[in-house]
Amino acid sequence: MLAGLLLLAYTAGVQAQAGTGTEVQIPATPQRWVTDDAGVLSPAAVAEFDARLEEYERSSGHQVIVYTGKTTGIVPIEEWAVKAFQAWRVGRQGLDDGLVLFIMADDKRLRIEVGYGLEGVLPDALAGRIINDEIVPRLQQGDNDGAVRAALDRLTAVIAGEAAGSGENQAQPGAGRPMTLGEKVMVGIAILFFLILFITNPQLALYLLFTILSGGRGGSGGRGGFSGGGGRSGGGGASGSW
Amino acid sequence: MSKKVMLGCLGVLVGLVVILGLWVMGAYNGLVSLDQKALSQWAQVESAYQRRADLIPNLVETVKGAAEFEKDTFTQVTEARAKVGQVQLGNSPANDPEAFAKFQQAQDGLSSALSRLMVVVEKYPDLKATQNFRDLQVQLEGTENRINVERMRFNEAAQGFNTKRMSFPTVIIANFFGKRFQEKSYFKSQAGAETAPKVQF
Repeated sequence: MLAGLLLLAYTAGVQAQAGTGTEVQIPATPQRWVTDDAGVLSPAAVAEFDARLEEYERSSGHQVIVYTGKTTGIVPIEEWAVKAFQAWRVGRQGLDDGLVLFIMADDKRLRIEVGYGLEGVLPDALAGRIINDEIVPRLQQGDNDGAVRAALDRLTAVIAGEAAGSGENQAQPGAGRPMTLGEKVMVGIAILFFLILFITNPQLALYLLFTILSGGRGGSGGRGGFSGGGGRSGGGGASGSW
Repeated sequence: MSKKVMLGCLGVLVGLVVILGLWVMGAYNGLVSLDQKALSQWAQVESAYQRRADLIPNLVETVKGAAEFEKDTFTQVTEARAKVGQVQLGNSPANDPEAFAKFQQAQDGLSSALSRLMVVVEKYPDLKATQNFRDLQVQLEGTENRINVERMRFNEAAQGFNTKRMSFPTVIIANFFGKRFQEKSYFKSQAGAETAPKVQF
């Protein structure tokens, strides 16, 4: 009993030691591509950007979203951004090809958080240039709409410039590579098994077929708003302040 | 009659042994899976640090061109970087507290050398204004941020493992296997190390 209590206390101590200490408050997952919680953008601009990014995701697959808030609290925007990115699951599952532009009005801090899948296309230095050259000067002049518009112009151009079709390539690794004999044998065996299953239990076989065919596709298309499946970012991107 | 009782007892005993065996297996496999998770996260931590080390030659070259009088600072950075490369780690630091401490000490040395370099740079506004240096600064901030993110995730993975490892009754299994399931160390943020080097005068 005493040992158990000691153990409990010990475990609790370890957890406290490892705990982050600061609990970060992340708002609920946005419903749309552009969310202006801070109210720094004009409604017309929000509607325009939102339609534009929705269309951009439909055509390119990349999720680019904009979020404005008041403050990140006591944590730096870098930490906050990673946690929000994760909580909102930005980007496609397995590809993590999302991007979020965070603007914190009261902190006067902003950040472009880049998912793992886009780090190759949009290195930190480029994100930094977009922030310093396009966004910050306009924010300083109070042209918030213009700042976001210019940022989106540059960001979508950069991503589209190099990433055209690359999402498809990443989605199917090994496509275009001839199969080895071993793989052919494996596929043969799998097909044989499937045929046997189809004869003995067609319902299960059809279910399996359906699951396999629909699996691997990230996100869930067809819903009314923004919805992601990715969410992994390793802290790529850049921050700035104005 | 007594034979039947004995047989019954034997049956119960065998049943208990099987249940115990299954439980041990489950606990062991659970520990292995958490251990692997922490190890793979450790690899992420190392690659983030490697990214920073790779950035340094370019950074030093760029700064050297504009601030050649600051030889000491360059030497410190280069030495600290070399030290990071030389650290001899017998085991993966993720599993060995001693190697972990060595690793972190070397990396912290590099962190502070880099901070000093960034302080020195403040004296050269021309250098700071060049696009090349600004890019490098963003990249440096980016790698520091990546290091923080991966360290934070490692701590989470290590915490998951340690909690399981020290919880009763799994702790019995873990202790039985001794070093195989050693408690994992955590990264502790030192003052000023949790954010990218920022210089304010």
